[in-house]
Amino acid sequence: MSDAAFLGVTAAIAAGSLAGTWSLRRAWRLKGSKGRSRWKGLALLGATLLWPASVLGEARGPFIAVTLMSVVALGLVASSYTIRPARARRAGREGLAPEPAKRAPSAWRTALRWALAGPIGMVAAMGLGTGYAVWAPGEIQTRLLIGGLIVPLAWGSAMAWTLADSRILRATAVLVGTAIIGFGAAMLKGLT
Amino acid sequence: MTKTTMTKSKKRAGFPSPDLVRAVLKGHSGLGLAFAALLYLVCLTGATAVFANEFYRWENPGVERMESLSADAAQLAYREAIARTEGAAEHVLILMPSEDRPWPSVRVTAEDGTQTNWIVDSAGRITGTLRESWTHFITRLHINLHLPQSWGILIVGLSGVALVSSLISGLLAHPRIFRDAFHLRVGGSRRLQEADLHNRLGVWALPFHVTISLTGALLGLSTIIIGAVGLAVFQGDTAKVYAIFTPPHPVEDTRPAPPIDLQPLFARVAERAPEGRISHVIVEHPTEQGASARFDVESSTSRIANSDTYAFDRAGTIYYEQQAAKNNMGQQILGSLGQLHFGWFGGGLVKIAYALLGLGLTYLAAGGVNIWLARRRDKGRPAPGWERIWAATVWGQPLALTGTALVALFTPAPIALIWTWAAVSLAALGTAAVWSPSALSQIGRAGTGTLLMALALAHPVVVGTGDSMALIIDGALGLIGFGLLAISVTWRRSRTAGVQTV
Repeated sequence: MSDAAFLGVTAAIAAGSLAGTWSLRRAWRLKGSKGRSRWKGLALLGATLLWPASVLGEARGPFIAVTLMSVVALGLVASSYTIRPARARRAGREGLAPEPAKRAPSAWRTALRWALAGPIGMVAAMGLGTGYAVWAPGEIQTRLLIGGLIVPLAWGSAMAWTLADSRILRATAVLVGTAIIGFGAAMLKGLT
Repeated sequence: MTKTTMTKSKKRAGFPSPDLVRAVLKGHSGLGLAFAALLYLVCLTGATAVFANEFYRWENPGVERMESLSADAAQLAYREAIARTEGAAEHVLILMPSEDRPWPSVRVTAEDGTQTNWIVDSAGRITGTLRESWTHFITRLHINLHLPQSWGILIVGLSGVALVSSLISGLLAHPRIFRDAFHLRVGGSRRLQEADLHNRLGVWALPFHVTISLTGALLGLSTIIIGAVGLAVFQGDTAKVYAIFTPPHPVEDTRPAPPIDLQPLFARVAERAPEGRISHVIVEHPTEQGASARFDVESSTSRIANSDTYAFDRAGTIYYEQQAAKNNMGQQILGSLGQLHFGWFGGGLVKIAYALLGLGLTYLAAGGVNIWLARRRDKGRPAPGWERIWAATVWGQPLALTGTALVALFTPAPIALIWTWAAVSLAALGTAAVWSPSALSQIGRAGTGTLLMALALAHPVVVGTGDSMALIIDGALGLIGFGLLAISVTWRRSRTAGVQTV
């Protein structure tokens, strides 16, 4: 593809992203009957995500589209900023999102919580990833790569969960159990 | 939720319930604070490293540019590079000219591990060594923080996992995700302003954040993941896991021999892939009987990972061949990880988009701590010490990185850059004991702006102006510097005039 054609495609992606985000913002601003603009916006963004696959490549196209889409959307959000007067300071504070939960301080619970979010979560995630790589169907490289991607995803999820959940003994049981089952299943079959 | 003081909602709440939101917010806040400085540094250096190839050109503006290099010239350069190496050459990497880096280079790794990167002209003559100290500094700071390789990569991979976790908890802790989708309120409460910026950046750039954090975490954790798989299914033999992805090696034969002849191999590759462009050649043990040469050829597929591979032994026999068009999904993912992580899959426009989104992610890391500090201040429990330390951290890094770029103009020694970065970072933290957060921000902003402008002016004088890319980068650095300085001056004037700014 020539440079000019590539620029044309990216310009079309940017235009589709702008039109889609614009429609969504219109729906967001409307007091009632948001449905039509919302669906129009979602459809435009969906189409802008999909059609580049046929022009720029099945993975390359959507990745370029989603990257440009984020920039265009943020640009639109930034362009419609509003200035709050200084007197809104106090009212603003009161109307904010919820406060984080407060927990009674406990050294051993804090230590266990971070151990679960860190090394124990990592071992559990690795057990899950290894178990997938061994037992899932498909080519060996695909299984290993998807298994590999499962590891940060599962570990990140375990972190989010254990740092939020107060029932840390339940979290301990689930993570240790996951690690044992994952690695056990992997050792049982072996990689073929 | 035992042992917590959180209140339970009497009403039946939808998902996520207020209690869940508050609990998740607690975890999100704790994790963000624990990793904030590391995430900030990794994201800032990552956003800069997107332009690694452009910075190579910026550091070497006088090098002869070309679209291609003949097989004869490549052979000549490779032989001369080996001849200049003290002791036996272990590996040789010949990088052919490309759109991003329009000149060839030959990197030789000697037996003792020392590496020399030679620049080559279109006739294959070596014209000098590559200047790469700053590009190398910034990329290695991003990849392994200049720590011992395995530990550094692991720590950066861990920051990727922390980012994945923060994205998950951030989404769960954001019940007004749709209601606030387009709200960006500036002024008034600082906490509200920071929260708006944090949430809008986090939500609208979510696909980018997921891509960056997952690919980064996988790249960083790959060694221990392979170790775990090897331990679980190959009795600890990780070589068997690597062998699934890498080309096999020819039979080892360490008897000395003249450098493997690449010319006929170039011809064989041209026969097999007449439309392809050789991106690089890796020669293993070139002066041993068991030498091998691997050619990576950019094919005409539109896949992100579009490299065909041909590996030859000394006799010129192909012992491994892999076509990008026939790659399975796993091989495609593997080949795409680096390009997706650094934004090297869609030309200059995608690189600029990646840099902007990367800076947004950097702000996300910094803004999270700002929200926490503003919340404490709102609650009547300010943390002035942490406010100063955080301001020094946030503004110390741009100052330190710009300082290293300035030093790199005068010395190619990588260690000088590491010391400069460490010294400026520590000095910035030291000033936190003296100056207020607002003074630290202003001085950091003005200092970075001034240094960037000095860099933009000094670079053409010291290094040269032979490459238009170098001039573009100098122009961009000068503009960014001017912008920072202008913001700093405006901020100071408004303060002097008694106008309250946020």
